[in-house]
Amino acid sequence: MSAAAPRPGETLLSVDGISLAFGGVKALTDVSFDVRKGEIRAIIGPNGAGKSSMLNCINGFYQPQQGRITYRGVERRQMRPHEAAEQGIARTFQNIALFRGMSTLDNIMTGRLLRMKVPFFWQVWRHGPAMREEIEHRRFVEGIIEFLEIEHIRKTPVGRLPYGLQKRVELGRALAMEPELLLLDEPMAGMNLEEKEDMCRFILDVVRQYGTTIALIEHDMGVVMDLSDRVVVLDYGRKIADGTPAEVKADRRVIDAYLGVGH
Amino acid sequence: MFYREAGQFKTSYEADMAVFPIRQDRIGLAIILVAAVALPPFLDSFVVGTVLVPFLVFSLAATGLNLLTGYTGLLSLGTGAFMGVGAYACYKLTTIFPGVNILVWILASGFFSAAIGVVFGLPSLRIKGFYLAVATLAAQFFLEWCFVRIPWLFNYNLSGAIEAPSRSVFGIPIVGASATPLARYYAILAIVVALTWIASNIVHGRVGRAWMAVRDMDIAAELMGIRLLRAKLLAFAVSSFYCGVAGAAMMFLWYGGGEAKDAFSINLSFTILFMIIIGGLGSLLGAFLGAALLHLVPIFLKFGLPELGVPIGGATAEHLTHILVGALIVFFLIVEPHGLARLWATTKQKLRAWPFPY
Repeated sequence: MSAAAPRPGETLLSVDGISLAFGGVKALTDVSFDVRKGEIRAIIGPNGAGKSSMLNCINGFYQPQQGRITYRGVERRQMRPHEAAEQGIARTFQNIALFRGMSTLDNIMTGRLLRMKVPFFWQVWRHGPAMREEIEHRRFVEGIIEFLEIEHIRKTPVGRLPYGLQKRVELGRALAMEPELLLLDEPMAGMNLEEKEDMCRFILDVVRQYGTTIALIEHDMGVVMDLSDRVVVLDYGRKIADGTPAEVKADRRVIDAYLGVGH
Repeated sequence: MFYREAGQFKTSYEADMAVFPIRQDRIGLAIILVAAVALPPFLDSFVVGTVLVPFLVFSLAATGLNLLTGYTGLLSLGTGAFMGVGAYACYKLTTIFPGVNILVWILASGFFSAAIGVVFGLPSLRIKGFYLAVATLAAQFFLEWCFVRIPWLFNYNLSGAIEAPSRSVFGIPIVGASATPLARYYAILAIVVALTWIASNIVHGRVGRAWMAVRDMDIAAELMGIRLLRAKLLAFAVSSFYCGVAGAAMMFLWYGGGEAKDAFSINLSFTILFMIIIGGLGSLLGAFLGAALLHLVPIFLKFGLPELGVPIGGATAEHLTHILVGALIVFFLIVEPHGLARLWATTKQKLRAWPFPY
């Protein structure tokens, strides 16, 4: 059903006239933008602007009342989150959503679940095909663990890890899905400068090494302006600006939204 | 001092993913298994019949419930009823086809229980926590009603009881009046060892990780591509399978027939649930530790204390049991919510580092 994977620079995802309301509260009103293959696309805006709602629409948690989402050239209206996962959309959460009872390794291994196909019958014996599959995916996951430099906490339950490392494990879990489109919801919230710099480096490396397209929400303007190729700005659920970081920074309406308007 | 993993290097992912990666653990397990096979012939047959056989039955049922509640995070109060389904299924099967090996029917009755479990697991997609517990409570009451009101299930026996017919395996009677406790013990031991090994394989692989992901954060689990309904229903099916086998084993290898409707009451559901809470949610070892504690404490109070010369009446011992079990549950909920299994893990960690604090 899906068309051929877009080449770098072509449109991977386009969002067209999305409106989402919870009862009388309008979270998003007629928002349109696109994400090109291989770029880092930032979504910014003041608190409550509808950024997270936008991500939730893209990966199927929310069903927008109006509008179209076109992904890989296929238009869709309704999608369940696991269908989004099957089509290569992964994401991390603003407030970490790791599996707290499991180790770092097991958490990242869950990212491989969709690619593990050996039927239940073999799982029961944990030999033969099931074990071979397990080892093959373990090898891939070890690659991610090395990439993120978290070898030392491989067997540690994630509940015991400090905040910055948890964020990194969550990124690892999303990467293990080998996503085509990676949605990052405030990947640097609550981090100190050093952790932020590490995370920036990982994000840039992900794009370069894995060729992943990234859409991210972030509040740190310095990071956003440095990292992203293009920025879309939301305010009260409406798009107020869209363009390169330099264009957005100079936009009058963006400045008003962030700093307030003199009346 | 003897519990060190220094010098044990793993050179393959397979070795690193072993269930017991530390050599001392493997030796310990081997010793326990050998003892479980070799020692019972030297024990009093009363001990084998009233201590070991029930302990293994409870362990199996607790393992089943732990797969559902401990690993997948779905609270169930229908364990007793699911065990009952296994017992009645086994009874019908072995009276309709008396020629087939009874062990085959004990295992096959698990599938009937699994099917019923899936039906009552359907609401789990929409409701969670206490509300799901109440939904499974409905299963308990409905099935209990069936056990009493559908005479076909107990072959129109006037007393409403299950009569365990004589059944042999390799010429040795293991079910019925002529079966010795030792023969019954070996039958249940074989079942428990095999099913525990399978449970361990399941929880250490893809399926177990999916279950734990659903337990820890179902939204994120869905995002990883896990289909929640499928994962939850599989958990209900496997869990009920274990409970069903345990129920069949309880009726045929332990009780040897009897008033089933009293045996599979809500009390049994609670007992199994307390076992996994005290033993450790989400731990296979915990199911065994919890079963041992909750089953052995009453026996010790009832028979052990008089043996030691402490004058204690049967009624007093029973009251004391209630007090102790209640106190233990409160103690564990406060001090160690992860149960005996976590205590054991902490002890092992201390042993590894001994004599240093860490």
